[in-house]
Amino acid sequence: MSNPWIAIGALAVVALAIPITMMVVSSLLRPSVPEQGKTATYESGEVPTGSSQKIKFNIQYYMVALLFLVFDIETVLIFPWTVIYRDAVSAVGMTRILLPMVVFIGILAVGLGWAWRNGAVRWVRSPRATKGADTYE
Amino acid sequence: MQSAPLPESLADLAGLDPNSTPVMILMSLIGAALIGSLMMTNTALAGPWAKRKITAAFTDRIAVDRIGPFGLLIIVADSVRLLSKELIVPEGVDRPAWDLAPLLIASSALLGFAVIPMGNGLHLADPEVGLAYVFATASMASIGLVMAGYASNNKYSFLGGLRAVAQNLAYEIPLILTGASVVIFAGSLQISEIVAAQSATLIGPIPSWYAFVNPFAFVLFMIANLAEVGRNPFDIPEAPTEIVAGYQTEYSSVYFVLIYLGEFIHIFLGGAIIATIFLGGPAGPVLPGIVWFLIKIWGVFLFTQWARSAVPRVRIDQLIEIGWKGMLVLSLANLLLTAVIVGVVA
Repeated sequence: MSNPWIAIGALAVVALAIPITMMVVSSLLRPSVPEQGKTATYESGEVPTGSSQKIKFNIQYYMVALLFLVFDIETVLIFPWTVIYRDAVSAVGMTRILLPMVVFIGILAVGLGWAWRNGAVRWVRSPRATKGADTYE
Repeated sequence: MQSAPLPESLADLAGLDPNSTPVMILMSLIGAALIGSLMMTNTALAGPWAKRKITAAFTDRIAVDRIGPFGLLIIVADSVRLLSKELIVPEGVDRPAWDLAPLLIASSALLGFAVIPMGNGLHLADPEVGLAYVFATASMASIGLVMAGYASNNKYSFLGGLRAVAQNLAYEIPLILTGASVVIFAGSLQISEIVAAQSATLIGPIPSWYAFVNPFAFVLFMIANLAEVGRNPFDIPEAPTEIVAGYQTEYSSVYFVLIYLGEFIHIFLGGAIIATIFLGGPAGPVLPGIVWFLIKIWGVFLFTQWARSAVPRVRIDQLIEIGWKGMLVLSLANLLLTAVIVGVVA
């Protein structure tokens, strides 16, 4: 059995080569007509105002990302458990392998319940966020 | 079906020694090019042609039928047209990130196919962490979406990027937890073992595909997959009637092609994951494995297009609530229930 990561690396090379080839082909084909005006960003026909990287956005996006971090680490810890689960059931019995995971997921469920009660997973518009004219959802 | 990985069988075919590293690197590159072109062919068929035909059939119209048989040559016409468009670089874009995002979106989705068994020995690599690897590559696109949204210097793009990441984060966990419930059955992350574990029969002629063994997980996975690939009812990252085109608003020419391509490869990657862990991989009666594999991934593609035409879009607040309050709780319940059932049966 050869190292499978050689083949995966080869696909990585191919996966990069295909888009880069397309970019090169396109750069040979396409015209370039530099002209003022068409480089303006699209804002439904209005003259664009300000930078988009400085707009205020809903803090909720941050809450969701924070919650994701917790549960993503949790999935990392669950995966090894799922791999050995079947063998472990016959080796040490079901309660000894299942109970710790039930407790672990239980703690997470309590955490999710807490976040739920505090409105972290409810999409609320805070009055402060909707007051200014330069704020977006 | 349990055959050697593609590079080794290619080396056998060429009569070269599969134990020497340079031979394996060469054969891996040939195999990778083969897999890459197969998926690019599928995407080329799906993007400019099948998608239009399917949507037209749903909305009672006639789609592309002017050029070639069934309008198939529109694929050639469209690729030439899109590649020869001028690339407009908008003012104030964050340059390296703006260029890298389309590249990342297109290539990350293609990477996942390395571990997918496509039947007839078309299986590039079979590492022990196969399933974890494929989930990892599938979620890399989120980074590309944020990069595209942030670097474009466009408010629509920025909102689209934020929405895309909120959605992908919210449905990533249910997707992976449901995938983990399959691992409980199979007892391995190695893709070939997961496929082999589904080759027995359940009752009568029904095979023990995990879609039949655990239909609840299958439904959850299909829904989470719709959200991951950003199709209705979860298409708010691009929501054409709200934020123009979301993160891809400012992209033109080849960059637009790459983002569009990446989306379609991503749908097929989702289909390939579903086919592999829920529908027995390339298994099926009579027809060869590769045909069954293609039927399965096109079936999932058809499902996403059906949802796109038939299901209304959810709002961002509904999206977050469905994800965190519904899908997450259900997938945790599914994981524990699967563990109990497997524990009792085993």
